[in-house]
Amino acid sequence: MTLARVRAEIHTWGTVIFIDASSGKISEPQIQSAIDGVRDFLYEVDEVFSTYKENSQVSRLRRGEIAITDCTPDLQEVWALCAYAKEVTDGSFDPWCVEGGFDPSGYVKGWASDRAITMLKAAGVEHIQINSAGDLSLAGGVEPGKPWSIGIRHPEEAHTIVKVFDITDGAIATSGTYERGAHIKDPHTGMIAIGARSATVYGPDGGIADALATALIVAGKDGAYLFQKPELAGYHCWVIERHGDQAWSI
Amino acid sequence: MGAKRVMLIAGGTIGGLGAVLSITPPQFGTTSSSGLGGTLLGGGSTTSTASTAGTTPAPAATQAASTPAPAATATKKATTTTPAPSATTAAPAPAPAKAKPSGTFTGSTSQTRFGPVQVQITLVNGKITAANALQYPNNDFRSQQISQQAIPYLVQETLAANSADIQGVGGASYTSQGWYDSLVSALAKAGM
Repeated sequence: MTLARVRAEIHTWGTVIFIDASSGKISEPQIQSAIDGVRDFLYEVDEVFSTYKENSQVSRLRRGEIAITDCTPDLQEVWALCAYAKEVTDGSFDPWCVEGGFDPSGYVKGWASDRAITMLKAAGVEHIQINSAGDLSLAGGVEPGKPWSIGIRHPEEAHTIVKVFDITDGAIATSGTYERGAHIKDPHTGMIAIGARSATVYGPDGGIADALATALIVAGKDGAYLFQKPELAGYHCWVIERHGDQAWSI
Repeated sequence: MGAKRVMLIAGGTIGGLGAVLSITPPQFGTTSSSGLGGTLLGGGSTTSTASTAGTTPAPAATQAASTPAPAATATKKATTTTPAPSATTAAPAPAPAKAKPSGTFTGSTSQTRFGPVQVQITLVNGKITAANALQYPNNDFRSQQISQQAIPYLVQETLAANSADIQGVGGASYTSQGWYDSLVSALAKAGM
């Protein structure tokens, strides 16, 4: 049967979030209306979580004007999830160790994309790709029985795909020094992180995948042991080393 | 306890590990911009080792003797949980029954809210094998940042639509109507 399919771009978070949604159960207008709901949610996330908006709750939290207990349930949830991510990465991902204070940006993208997937699924959308600045959350494959094929681009040659992953459900996040320059700090040393040039992590949860990718940029191969943890059993990584064109994967 | 995990160390070039799509870098410097475009991503480099689509080396990489992390067991298993990327290579099509356009076609310049976008495509037997941005917005730092994200993503979209079986790209995101407009124009010129 033919799938109803809607693709949309949502301009927010200083970037563009690309949504590809299709369904054999609901119509295009119904998918569109579900995407409208997601758009509102993502705008709201930007209002609450942006570190660029002076009056966002995160900005006010960073300035110490409000306490976490004063914040929205979503922000409190992300705060708690960030604490878990910090713990599970043994501190290699640490949103509190950022200039200017708590910055959940490295977690929120994946978290919000996962939430968007939940919203779309609840509305009857069956096949979903949400691509927020290169971190993707996926559900249901591209069509029945066919996973999403996701290419990972080369860290320096922006137009070369170096690896393809087939994913039906889950999230895939890539962290590197290329997206916004060297923007990840090593929480242990305060120095620019140099563990890897590019780290791709895929697994069930977008926020955790995001956090783990960041952790691997910080820790490099020293972070490989994290994937031995039982709670991270569903996660895998593909990492390009800092020097030489070598990659390792788990 | 979780299942035993293994770490695979694969040697060889990254490109060799699975370059399935290779596109020549865009023509940077169509305006008198600073060198930011090149320094952020190295996108302006002409030293790309990328091979053209269809010449992807086999992904079977030699095993390097790098030291595995503690508790990780190196194995000789050269495959990961993902299929060999070479299987999805946008290989040149076999000689088609009907003549399909081949060559390089340049789309019209399309205005976007960030600036002009112009796309050039290369067709081999009617399949897009490369899509380059001849022009894209790079007037200021912010636009450059957006462009850095935009171009690879747009290239992805173009190729995904026509030649390669990839539906998404990690590490880059942005798309614009301008790209599509210019692309459609280039395709029209190619008679497609």
